[in-house]
Amino acid sequence: MPPKRKSPSSTKSRPEKLPDTDKRVLQPTLDLAQQIYTQLDKGDIPRMKLPLRTKQNIAFSPRDGVWRLGNQCGVRSARKLDGALMLLRTFWLVDFIEEMARDNKHSTLRELYYISEQWEEAKFHSENESNLLVEDLEVMCERMREDFRLRPEENGASVIGDLTITEINRKGQKKKINCRDDVGDGGYQLPANVEKEKISFVSHGAKFVLAIECGGMVDRLAENGFDEDQNALLVHLKGQPARSTRRFLKRLNEELKLPVVVFTDGDPWSFRIFASVAYGAIKTAHISHYLATPGAEFLGVTASDIENYQLPSDKLSDRDIQALKAELSDPRFNTEMWKSEIELMLQNGKKAEQQSLAKYGLNYVTEKYLPEKLTEMGVL
Amino acid sequence: MAEELASKQKAISIGEFFERNRQILGFDNPSRALLTTVKECVDNSADACEEAGILPDLLVEITKVSEERLKVVVEDNGPGIVRRQLPNVFGRLLYGSRFHSNRQARGQQGIGVSAAVLYAGLTTATPVHIVSKVEEDPAANVVDLFLDTQKNQARLVKEDVLAWDRPHGTRVELTLKARYQRGRQSPYDYLKGTAIVNPHARIVLVEPDGTRTTWERASPDLPPLAKEIPPHPHGLELGELDSMLRRSSSKTLLQFLTADLSGISRRGIQDVLQKGGFTGRERPDGFAGERVEQLLAALKDTPMATPSAECLSPIGPMLIKRGLKNVLGTLRPEFYSPPVSRPPKVHAGCPFVVEVGLVYGGDLPSDQSIQLLRFANRVPLLFQQGACAITQTVAEMDWHRYGLEQKSGAVPVGPVILLVHVASTKVPFTSEAKEAVAQTEDITREIELAVQAAARNMKLHLSRRTRRDQAMEKFTIIQKILPKMAEKASGIVDKPVPDLTRVITRIMDVVAVEARGSGEDPTKPSEKTLLTLTNYTSRNRPIELFLEVPLEAVKEGFSADPKPETLSTELGRVTFPLQRLSPNAKVTYTLTWPKPEKLEPDDVDVFVAGVDEAHLLGADPLPGDWDVRLPAALVEAAEDAQIAAARPAATAEGDEEVDYDAAEKKESFVDEE
Repeated sequence: MPPKRKSPSSTKSRPEKLPDTDKRVLQPTLDLAQQIYTQLDKGDIPRMKLPLRTKQNIAFSPRDGVWRLGNQCGVRSARKLDGALMLLRTFWLVDFIEEMARDNKHSTLRELYYISEQWEEAKFHSENESNLLVEDLEVMCERMREDFRLRPEENGASVIGDLTITEINRKGQKKKINCRDDVGDGGYQLPANVEKEKISFVSHGAKFVLAIECGGMVDRLAENGFDEDQNALLVHLKGQPARSTRRFLKRLNEELKLPVVVFTDGDPWSFRIFASVAYGAIKTAHISHYLATPGAEFLGVTASDIENYQLPSDKLSDRDIQALKAELSDPRFNTEMWKSEIELMLQNGKKAEQQSLAKYGLNYVTEKYLPEKLTEMGVL
Repeated sequence: MAEELASKQKAISIGEFFERNRQILGFDNPSRALLTTVKECVDNSADACEEAGILPDLLVEITKVSEERLKVVVEDNGPGIVRRQLPNVFGRLLYGSRFHSNRQARGQQGIGVSAAVLYAGLTTATPVHIVSKVEEDPAANVVDLFLDTQKNQARLVKEDVLAWDRPHGTRVELTLKARYQRGRQSPYDYLKGTAIVNPHARIVLVEPDGTRTTWERASPDLPPLAKEIPPHPHGLELGELDSMLRRSSSKTLLQFLTADLSGISRRGIQDVLQKGGFTGRERPDGFAGERVEQLLAALKDTPMATPSAECLSPIGPMLIKRGLKNVLGTLRPEFYSPPVSRPPKVHAGCPFVVEVGLVYGGDLPSDQSIQLLRFANRVPLLFQQGACAITQTVAEMDWHRYGLEQKSGAVPVGPVILLVHVASTKVPFTSEAKEAVAQTEDITREIELAVQAAARNMKLHLSRRTRRDQAMEKFTIIQKILPKMAEKASGIVDKPVPDLTRVITRIMDVVAVEARGSGEDPTKPSEKTLLTLTNYTSRNRPIELFLEVPLEAVKEGFSADPKPETLSTELGRVTFPLQRLSPNAKVTYTLTWPKPEKLEPDDVDVFVAGVDEAHLLGADPLPGDWDVRLPAALVEAAEDAQIAAARPAATAEGDEEVDYDAAEKKESFVDEE
């Protein structure tokens, strides 16, 4: 029996000095340690159960109107190298969070990835691994990563339109900003934290929110004065939207009762962007009720738009086709509308970008396409 | 009218014939013309060296003369060519010593070096420059000549003698319209292939940019010279039999059948005479027309002994491996499959042999089609890959079962080089270009069997590797991760670190066999090998170790500690007495090798009885064909299993549950954020 030896980070003194909030947040990890200790002591292989974040394990929650995590669990076991590493990393991660709590520090997800260089054989092989572990911890502790003093690398996207907010800035001062008049061409950039204590809504003159995939299209609409002409609030999604962007859309929808319309490219990946905005993403299904906007509607570019508007298109790649087929077995897309859209796209074998509307001139999108589509949807 | 026609009927000149058949002859474009020229010269040199019992030392030097012209120099250390034969060898098309001979030779493959001389003359109006010295002569003969396309004979333009600083050899210099390029179907590839299947040759290539590549000799032994044997009756064609009869020095048919043909027994001769209605006293040179046909029919109708394979010169498994290692060593392949050399078979009366070598892994690309190296009579085949029976046979096999990806009907994808060599006195080619082996049932079947055998070895290697990787993974868990995890968990709950032995045996759940050399450098063979068997299972295990070691080692004094129970000098099989290992216990066997430098890492096969395959790492279960006494360990293990079965099953873990981390990995490609 080797003599009991404390790990380097645990020598710095443990729970006593830990702030109460952090202690409460991390309580489930102490339970995990106890569980694994007991297993080892009994001669069992260390293991823990976690709800699976897969498309087979998301379920529609009628109460929240979004897709949340189901009941299926997977087992993380030290029988396999990946499982053993993740279990060990969980302890290293908890050590690190406690250390930050004591020093009142925060870190980005990317810094966490580099911090793991100190974790010997348990260091992460990719940032994907560290992000996944943080999500696991969120699920395990039923908390959000901000509670663990971890923040995302990127801030949210930008907003352009007649919306006045107040933001508590770095110096702790309340700053009043109108997202049309007080900002430059880039618009108002969302911070990582978009909660009430950070951002509050003051007033607005918008009738609806238009969430847009590409920056080029946001600029086009802004240059054409679409936000003012149609009283639209333009939100740039920047591809797959960050959590803060999704949270912000949800707040606009719930608190200001603004309809949210999503305008993306016409390809399988854009369908997923819409799904994560409206239905909830699979990877963050444990916090869908907090991030997803159930009322959000998909404007286009749809597979039928490509035909109806005779848009310049590209051939679907093998990966595209694979992605579309995967969507057919994704419960979130199990509606008549999506099934026919996906099948139509597969049948035609074509995809198109938002900006392909420029085929008919720079004003076509604001003068013809969007008004037509928005009227059809009953937004205008 | 007939007179009018006759005035138009005239012999076409050699030059015209050449022009019309450039493609068949291999001179249809400038880069192929270069390759054909190199090929003809090199084949001639290698054949000449081997016939004279000389280890070939070949130099190929290609230099740029002008934009469209290259000079090709091929020099050998062969026996040299006597002065009077020089005009015939280089200045006459279709003149050769090997054309009629009934044994395996490279030279049958091409039209001959004279075609290159003709091509050079036609494209650059430059004569071939030849320096050749035979050992008996004090000086070398130097000759410059053209091939006269009207007369099909040499036109000498210069003649000289030269004091040459070597005992014998030939140097040929040709200037031709040609283009140099590297890559597929280049002289570089051709010589590289030649080096693989001719490990007894040393080959140097100097490319136009000055790059010098040397393929060193990998074997000091000349291949046994193929013997010339009389033709086998089953391979004869009518015209061939006809001319043999005319030229024969035999006085009677009986004598002809006995001396000029091979494979006919006395009984067979009687059969032939009877079937053809011959007495045996007929004069061979008196046969003509129908009678020749009768004789041929009788010969074909009579069963005969298969032709002797003495006329073949296969490379042999050992030299295939050596050749591959010598040339491909820089790719650091992880696995050389034991090469396959099939026993000789017969196609159309001609004996043939198929040989296969296979190399896996290392720096070979795993996302591309395998590299198929085709050879006929030790000559690389670089063109018409798709039309070749070798390619077709490989493409038609199901490679999924051997662990390679494959689109149906295509050559598989994977980090593999596959060498296939067909050797015969008469390799059937698809066309006169002689670049693709024709699809014939006999040969295709042999290729398939040989490639399958090599592929099976590769599959075995792959499954061994997978198991080794899994073992490594488990060792990492128990040695590096688990202790740390226990330390951390214990730290958090503030208790002493528990004993991990039981967890370790549960995670491993195998009997592991680890081999390690006693030397410092793990890449070099060492005098002793330490084999450690550890019982990482939660049961007591009766275990017996069996080894298969190289015969040489057994003969030269291989020993082991603990002492072997039996040691067979015939099969190289070593057995050890039964050991009983309790959980976590280990036993180490020390093997001592008489000549470790001769040992290859994969030369020792380790087998264990008493443990089923699923619970065995680093060794294979004892195969059924060992035919030793029933291992006591097997009996005991079977009894234990019965007892275990009688007990209620221990808690089955991890079998039906979803592995969280595997599920996450699978999912990650579809999503989001």
